[in-house]
Parts: sequence; C-alpha cells; structure tokens
Amino acid sequence: MQMEQREMVERLARFIGEQGGFDKVEIENLRRMAGGASREIWSFDATLKKGAEQSKRGLVLRRDPGAHKIDTNRRAEFLVLRAAFREGVPVPEVLWVSDDPEVLGAAFFIMERVEGETLARRLLRDAEYGQARAAMPAQLAEILARIHRIDPRKHQLDFLTAPVENAALSEVRRYEQNFRALALEPHPAFELAFRWLLGRIPKTPRRTLVHGDYRIGNVIFGPSGVRSILDWELAHLGDPMEDVGWMCVRAWRFGNDRMPVGGLGTREDFFAAYEKASGLPVDPEAARFWEVFGNLRWGIITISQARTHIDGFVKSVELASIGRRTAETELELLNLIE
Amino acid sequence: MQDRPSAIELLEAAADFVEGEIVTATQGRVQFQSRVVANVMRIVAREIRDEDRFARAELRALAALLGREVPHVHGLDDVRGAAAKLNEELSAKIRAGEADNDPLRGPALGAVREIVENKLRIANPRYLEADLAIRSERRE
Repeated sequence: MQMEQREMVERLARFIGEQGGFDKVEIENLRRMAGGASREIWSFDATLKKGAEQSKRGLVLRRDPGAHKIDTNRRAEFLVLRAAFREGVPVPEVLWVSDDPEVLGAAFFIMERVEGETLARRLLRDAEYGQARAAMPAQLAEILARIHRIDPRKHQLDFLTAPVENAALSEVRRYEQNFRALALEPHPAFELAFRWLLGRIPKTPRRTLVHGDYRIGNVIFGPSGVRSILDWELAHLGDPMEDVGWMCVRAWRFGNDRMPVGGLGTREDFFAAYEKASGLPVDPEAARFWEVFGNLRWGIITISQARTHIDGFVKSVELASIGRRTAETELELLNLIE
Repeated sequence: MQDRPSAIELLEAAADFVEGEIVTATQGRVQFQSRVVANVMRIVAREIRDEDRFARAELRALAALLGREVPHVHGLDDVRGAAAKLNEELSAKIRAGEADNDPLRGPALGAVREIVENKLRIANPRYLEADLAIRSERRE
C-alpha cells in the first residue's frame, strides 16, 4: 500500500479535479501529520482552477492505513461530519470521499484544514492556553449538548449502528465480545469491571447521536478554546451519557488527575454546563457507569491496537507500545469499582 | 556469559541517545515516535531487571487467593504459564459471579491490585506513583 509521495500527489490532484470539476489542481506541501495511531492524516495545500477563477485551500486527507481490528467506515464518518457542520457544531467542512482503494490505496476523505493545536499536553501545560483551559470545559459541554440534539433522521444517519436493546447493555456486550476475541492473556481486572457494569445498567436512557470518541485529544483548539471537534469515525446512536463518561476517562487527563474532565475541570462543573446547554439532567450514577465503561473500553482498545501490530496489519512501535498501557486502565478500573 | 555492559546498560545507553539526540534533532511525527522508542527501551530494561521477581510474586498471590499450593516451577516461562492458568481460573470465577461479594470480592480486588501495580512498575512507574499520591491525598 506504500505509495511514492509524488504518485500520491498526482492521484490526489486527479481525484480532486474530477470531484470538484476543476480544470487544474496543483498540490503542494503534502506531509504526514503526527498523531493518528489508527488513521493516517495528511496535510496539503491545493490550488484549484476553474475557468478564470482560482482559489487556494488548506486541506486534510484522512485515510485508512490498512486492515483493522475494529471496523470503521470512511463514508459514514464523512456523512456524520457533514451533518454536524450543517447543525452548527464546530467541525471541519468535509469536501470529498472515496471508498475506492484504486484511488489512493485505501478509503479516505478530504476536508478543510482547521489551523490550531491538537496536542493535549500543550493545552494542559503551556501558558498561552490559560484562557483556553478555563473556557473549554463549558465549551465542550455546550458543543456536546448540540451534538446530542442532531436529528439522525433529518440527516439520513439512520444507517449508523443503533442498539437493539438497552444502549448500555449492548455496548457492554459488544466490547466484551471484542475483549474475548482479542485478549491474548486473561485480565481479571477487566472481568471484575464487566461484572460491576452488568449489575448497574442504566434503566431508561435517551437515544441520540453519540460522537463516540469525545475527548480533548480530538479537539483542535486555539488560545481562546475549542475550534473544531475531530474524529467522528465511532459515531453511533445510543445513550448520550456515553460521551459524558468517555470525556471523564483517566487517559485523557495526561497526568492532571485532580481535574477529571480532560485534565481541565471537575465532573460537577461539566455536568452543570451540559445540563444548562441541553435543558436535560445528568444522572451522576449513569455518568459514572459510562466513565467505568469508558476506562474499560479504552483498555480493550489498547489490546486491539497492540494486536494490530502483533498480527502484522500495521507494524508500528507506537501501536506496539500501547499494548503496555492496558495495565493503566486496569488500575483505574480497580480504583473506580472498589 | 556475556561481557559488560549488561543488557540493561546497553538499552539505557541506546535510550539516552534516542532521547538526547534524536528527539532533539527531529520534530513532528518522527520526534513523537522517537520518544515512544526511548520509552519502549526503558520498559524492556525494567522488565529484564524485575520481571522474574514480579512473576513469582504474582503466582504466589494467585495461589493464595485460590487456595492452591504454589506450583513447583523453575524457569520464567514456566512461572508465566502457571500464573496465566491461575489468572484464567480466577477470571472464570469472576465471570460466574463468585467475586461479586465477599468472601472472595475483597481478597480478589487486593490480589489483582497487587499484580496490576507490579505490571505498572515495569510499564509506567510514574503513572503508579501519581496514582498512589492521589489516593493517599484522598485518604487524608
């Protein structure tokens, strides 16, 4: 699947020309961006000519790196991003999508490039983001409430995975299946967490669009806070409290453990801001259920990412090393369920 | 028998070079991956130093929890194999609901915590230290 960069530039230019009906497309500064352990991200500048008109756009390409353990779908992500954009959620504008592996070796889509920072460690440590740190918990709560208000039918998102039973029960079962299929060693800490969760399934959840990977690592921010929400590939229909709990998972605090919400704020303030923006109450028991589930889910993802390397789908020292982060989630789960 | 430097010394020399020279001379993705490489080398060095001791402690803790005699095993691979078997047995008991309540719940949580903490002493000691600090703050 490796392709010469020059060939990639040529193919990209041809694809964009066809999709956008341009007479000429010039591509410059194509480079692979940091991050994206499970997804390739490339940045480039495109000069687009149509008749006498000419424009230059900063663009981003998101591409599958190869076969994967947890299936995703580029077109689904593209459609969810478009719906979010139309409903006023801060996301990059998506432009073109292709499922055809002949074009660039794997499925991909192209979107507008939003300038800003994505490194959560910078957000948590650097002086220039002091204002962003203060503003972001409330911003993230308001944006999340907006995401949960998107009507899936209005945007033809009915194809998204939806729970056939209680959303929490079906997510626990789904991840238990993943865990049983992927884990190479027994993990008694995860077994304890599964039992804890099965005894506390929230009874009457709402059903909404769920982002599925809502955490500070998936936010582009600037000095005044959130600019864009990224990584919609795990969006599905389910209990909105899943996103609230996921935001509180320990791995996204980057060591700033006194602030459970992304290392930035308290659960109480985040829940209150969400309640204010959505007009709907946050049940702390349900949020806690989803926080425990989130830590367990991240633990299973670490196993999955390590297997992606071990099984040879994508050889990567980063994926390999993530296999040794499973123990972090085991410890946090023990802290939460004891 | 190999000569000095030992495996640990070699790994630490290599990790120091990656951290001191490659990380500072690169940026973006390569810089990030170089940090990961240095971290992996330090994990392996700690594992060479401590894994034997930790694996034997794990086997003893699981045997005590499950009311078994500690199996007679010698090489590290055999210790790991025996511990994996007992971990599987414990997992089956938990799945069957036997650890939902005491008498097994408390001791199971304690033994699993001890094992997980030792995994972190190799994989990410700083994470464990931060966790211990926060938990002692909460108790105060």
